[in-house]
Amino acid sequence: MKSGSDLLKTFGTDTVFDVNAIVAHVLFTVLFDEVKSVETQEELRNIERAVKGRADIVLAQLPMLGLPEHRAVMEAAFVYGAKHQFVLTKGGSLERLGIEDPDSPGSHLWFLHCREVLRQSDPCQHTTLKKPLTTLNVYTFLQLMETPLVTEASVDPSDVKTVGSHLHAPLLFLFSQRETLALDRVTAETLGWRLRGEVAVVLIHRDSADVRTPVEYNAAYRLPAEGSVIKYFNLKSIEEVVNLFREDTVQEEEEDIDEDWAVLDVLDDEVVESVYRDRDVELDVGLVTELTSDTFSKAVQESNTAVVLFFVRWDAASLAVMQSFKEVADALEDIADVQLACVDCGEWTDVCSSQLIAAFPTVRMYWSGGLPHTYTGMLGTESLLKYIMLSLAAAPVLLSSSQEVQSFLQGDLFHTQATLSPTRVVGLLSSSQDSGWPMFEGAAQALRGETLLGLFADQQAEQWAKDHNVKLPAILVFRAPDSTIKAHSLQLSSTEQLVSDIQKLLLDTFPELTVENLPLYLELRKPLLLLFLGPEGDEEQGQGLDRRDAREELHRLADTSLLDTYVPCWVHLGRTPAGRAVLESYLGSIPQLPALVLSQLASGGEVFHFPSESPLNSDTVLQWLHRVERKEEQPAGLVLDEKWGPSVPFYDFLSIMDQEVPGYAAQKTPKMTKNMVGEKGSDEEPGHSNRTPSTKKHMPQQEVPTSHQHSEF
Amino acid sequence: MPPSFLPLLTLLAGLGHCLPGKDCGTNSTHRHDYCVLGAGPAGLQMGYFLSQTQRDYIILERNSGPGSFFNVYPRHRKLISINKVYTGRRNPEFNLRHDWNSLLSDRPDLLFKRVSTQLYPRADALPRYLSLFAEELGLRIKYGVDIGKIHVSEPAFHGGHGYRLTDQNGLEYTCGILLVCTGLWVPQEVNFFGSELVEGYESIPVDPEEYRGQAVLILGKGNSAFETAQSILGRASRIHLYSPSPVRLAWQTHYVGDLRAVNNELLDTYQLKSLDGLVEGGLEEIAIVRYDSEERNKSSRRKKHGSVEMKGRGQLYLTLDELLDNQNKTLAFSPMTLPGYHNDNFSLRQPYDRVIRCLGFRFNFSIFEGAASLLHSGMARGRLPAVTAWYEGKGTPGLFVLGTASHSRDYRSSAGGFIHGFRYTIRAVHWILEQRYHNRAWPTTKLQTTQLLSWLLRRVNEASGPYQMFGVLGDIVLLRGSHFEYLEEFPLQALAQFSTLSGHRVTKSGMLVLVMQYGLNRTDTLGSGRAESEWTWAWRSNFLHPVLYYYSTIPTEQEMKHRPAGWPLPRPKAIHHMIEDFLTEWDGPMSHIQPLRRFLEHCLQTDLRAFYAESCFRFSLTYREPPIFCRLGYLKKQGVIGNRKLWQHAREAGLMPTHHDSGTPKEDMSFQNYITKAAASVASGMNFHL
Repeated sequence: MKSGSDLLKTFGTDTVFDVNAIVAHVLFTVLFDEVKSVETQEELRNIERAVKGRADIVLAQLPMLGLPEHRAVMEAAFVYGAKHQFVLTKGGSLERLGIEDPDSPGSHLWFLHCREVLRQSDPCQHTTLKKPLTTLNVYTFLQLMETPLVTEASVDPSDVKTVGSHLHAPLLFLFSQRETLALDRVTAETLGWRLRGEVAVVLIHRDSADVRTPVEYNAAYRLPAEGSVIKYFNLKSIEEVVNLFREDTVQEEEEDIDEDWAVLDVLDDEVVESVYRDRDVELDVGLVTELTSDTFSKAVQESNTAVVLFFVRWDAASLAVMQSFKEVADALEDIADVQLACVDCGEWTDVCSSQLIAAFPTVRMYWSGGLPHTYTGMLGTESLLKYIMLSLAAAPVLLSSSQEVQSFLQGDLFHTQATLSPTRVVGLLSSSQDSGWPMFEGAAQALRGETLLGLFADQQAEQWAKDHNVKLPAILVFRAPDSTIKAHSLQLSSTEQLVSDIQKLLLDTFPELTVENLPLYLELRKPLLLLFLGPEGDEEQGQGLDRRDAREELHRLADTSLLDTYVPCWVHLGRTPAGRAVLESYLGSIPQLPALVLSQLASGGEVFHFPSESPLNSDTVLQWLHRVERKEEQPAGLVLDEKWGPSVPFYDFLSIMDQEVPGYAAQKTPKMTKNMVGEKGSDEEPGHSNRTPSTKKHMPQQEVPTSHQHSEF
Repeated sequence: MPPSFLPLLTLLAGLGHCLPGKDCGTNSTHRHDYCVLGAGPAGLQMGYFLSQTQRDYIILERNSGPGSFFNVYPRHRKLISINKVYTGRRNPEFNLRHDWNSLLSDRPDLLFKRVSTQLYPRADALPRYLSLFAEELGLRIKYGVDIGKIHVSEPAFHGGHGYRLTDQNGLEYTCGILLVCTGLWVPQEVNFFGSELVEGYESIPVDPEEYRGQAVLILGKGNSAFETAQSILGRASRIHLYSPSPVRLAWQTHYVGDLRAVNNELLDTYQLKSLDGLVEGGLEEIAIVRYDSEERNKSSRRKKHGSVEMKGRGQLYLTLDELLDNQNKTLAFSPMTLPGYHNDNFSLRQPYDRVIRCLGFRFNFSIFEGAASLLHSGMARGRLPAVTAWYEGKGTPGLFVLGTASHSRDYRSSAGGFIHGFRYTIRAVHWILEQRYHNRAWPTTKLQTTQLLSWLLRRVNEASGPYQMFGVLGDIVLLRGSHFEYLEEFPLQALAQFSTLSGHRVTKSGMLVLVMQYGLNRTDTLGSGRAESEWTWAWRSNFLHPVLYYYSTIPTEQEMKHRPAGWPLPRPKAIHHMIEDFLTEWDGPMSHIQPLRRFLEHCLQTDLRAFYAESCFRFSLTYREPPIFCRLGYLKKQGVIGNRKLWQHAREAGLMPTHHDSGTPKEDMSFQNYITKAAASVASGMNFHL
């Protein structure tokens, strides 16, 4: 196929087997840019996100192209393509819609009402085209989608001219008067939603003199057939009316409802689902020892270090953490000092109560001769392993000579631990009599498992301080990546203060953001200056060079105080692939990498993108940041400001009770209460009233108490 | 240092007995903040809780040991309260669901199974267990004190009046709070003509041989009637049970006070037409007449050998009051006065050797005098005192009725009249006392909202209180945004007074109530369709199942009163039934947990799903506020990392986005390698350098 001299698209002759196929494919090609096709739910969601508040989506599931259905949809797209976003799918993976059996192979069409959606978090309502996909049906359906839910009129039904009347759709008339107008509108709207795409709802103002409908009726309808008459009736319930129009498809409807709720039987929690998929495997704790009420105390008392996972089987997060815990146990198999154990709090509830376990899962470390320590870090294999290994080192590590300080900082002392900890901290005091000593001891305990903390209390500490231009008491912080040692003077006021000071000093000035360390930096509540780097080895167009340059440039800048109001950091999309989704959410697509983005998470929620065409160096970055501050830059995106509401609609038992057993769930009226009390009073003899006289023969009437039958049961 | 701290604590405990406005030290033996009347299971249970909070209390008991009722009753010495020692579980809380005899205490070894391992233990085991309980916990009991009179006394205790108790020796006890745990022991009698000819359950011989060949009419169709019938089934010739209402079977009604299958052999012999039978009829309208020997001789004169044949045969006839000559009932017997004369197939036309009354027991109202008088409840034919939803006598402030006598609150519906039920109501009353008189609020557990789901599941799967006291005691969850407070086993009927009774407020986030309930639509107990399995049908569950009620404000007294018929609570804002479970294990991710989570999400208007750290990472960077699971976990550095396999599952399910460029180097390394190679590369597993 050609457009001018440009070859637009070619297709094989096997795809154009008849006139439908040809029309469909031609239109498909013409509308190539307007009609999107999706394969996954995620793609559909992206489109939804993009059009919410702006346009509606017409989603067609076409398992095969080239069929009449394809043509019908493409023809509709030709007419309505500018108005609605058309999306095609082969089906199968769009569980979100849920109404149709995902295995159902047929063609389907839905209208997703995204235009009226105001907040990103709200889902787009959808209406299903319940008729076969013919051009006329699709056209009628889309027309009906455009008509307001409810039209209002002040004329008699026979005079009503609405879109429905020429669209071969049934018309439903509801009569209202001024007093009940507000309520009637609600009813009409409810009906409108229920019957959308099938029936046009018209609300008639009865107060008008033009309305000649007898007052005993409050509703009427007219079927689309030629010359059909208006039938009047009394509206009692919404269901009744809905059924009226669907009588012939009642069977179908019921299935629909079932399927609707069947969607709720799909697990929608990623942790639950991933754990559930392993349900065929009996929970195996591997090398982790299962403790009981009988063995718990002994186990934690007798082992040097016992790390205990408290869990419950019905908590998916617990079971996910158990997986990591097992991996830790495998890794530590040869380390005799450490015992990994778990307690099932569903069974050994007494152990968990006595240990005051108030959250599942909880990981707690028990030491011989020390107070148990509840782990508060990331619940993953590496973090746990690091925590356990670092905890094995003394806290603090007492250093007795300058050589020891040196080897501790360089990682020669506590070698295994040192390889796990990117940082080492040495507290410098002039003597062990120093008042800072207990504070350092306390801090070391508090930071146990987080970093290695050495303590050097000696006259030689003075020399170390002098060498680093600080005054005692001080700390030296060693950082692995660049092997730098930085020294800081301290104001020792309390252990808590010391702990938080050390934690702050342990933060990197230009960290690589990872899934595990992001919370540390978000805590600073500053705008993030994020440099997104492409995966390694992705060296197209000499990007490798750019990236290193950009990173080093920013690193230099980060070490100055010019970026103090930001958190400058970088994300490696190879190691942290989740960063890709972040970038996509910020900018709508993945820009050229490396990309520098300012995300004002804590303030304003605006996202700015450093122009990718500009050279990235200290000056350009600083200028750009200034422009942003002066509001001279246009935000490239927004941080989503949405509430995380319930993930799916709620299965409302109350309304189901009301429907199926009216009155069952209703509060009693005061009168009924009185009866109830009466019943209670006589509940002694419920059998009494059941007895019926039956054996009166031979007994003088007056002598026989009728209420006194000896009936056998 | 600990050594100096301990004595101080003990001292404080000693002082704890002296409440403001009380005269401590002097005469303390006869003056107590709390008097517990009766050392049965209820009295000891209350005593335990009072001793736990170190209150000034005394238990007064007229007999020489605890639980003396059980020295006599049940007459045939078999307890029908389940003592299931082998549950297959070691969860002590769960096991209390199947242990109907133990009292609550903090001693894991102070359970009934110590004295008996029989499923239906001998009655002697109970007093033995109670003695053990009282002794090992050092409860303060005064035996041999028979309180004959109870009056209201003047001295104020926290604003209210107190009670003055007088014993058989005229000694007086003054009490701030009176806890009546006297049980039910006065045999219930019915007056009709000839009722003096009737023997009582309390005094019948228990040796079956005494009934050899005899025809026996038992008045009553409860457990004592059937227990009696069962014991003589092999000796008596004919046993008929007579009472107004048909037998109610516990396994049909779920009420343990109804006829238990353990005693129901007579139902077999009746239905298999093996001489025994059940008959319904009013008790007030009958009369028992003796066919005395003189008359018998007279009437049998015609058939000479008749007297020999009839030796040992029946002499007592059941007839109707109306058939007797009202003017002169002493001339009782004549064939005309017997219903069989008028109706030749009258069921009970044959005479009986014995008529036995097994009508249960009533509360002894007689010792309460003046303003201390207790009103009769409308329930149970007035056999029980009327009490409020928090078990205080109606009209007697500061006087609480506990134990079996408090059963009017849930008569014929729950377990409040039995040890396995009232041990929990007593604990609830104790917390109410602590709040009202000592300003100690009902204990709560404060937890993060992310823990709500698993905490509810924990209770649903192990809690014994709401399980035994279904429909009566329920757990309350006070929603507070990102955290909640969990309060256990509150008396539901007192919900309107929740704040006053518990000392806790309900905020605008509202509250949840967790109740265990049987179904309301009684289907055929053993028929098909007796149980539901689809969670969307959970509200039609028939067996005991958890139900959650969500209220945005505490229901009012009016709302409580007008609650839907058969409901324990008024119509809530939202309700959730958890589908009944054959194994009573409510931990299915699909059927139990997810529907519950979605209900909670609706009540809290927040997404309660769990997310892996990676998802939290994404949400934390792209949303102003990530979901609560990420906020309370991941952002506090406690994210759930998961592993490759789990992520893979989540990705396959479409719940986590797939990364197109996967294969991160760190995942490829096994952790053995990780450890051993750690030295070689500083950060093989960590991400701190490129």
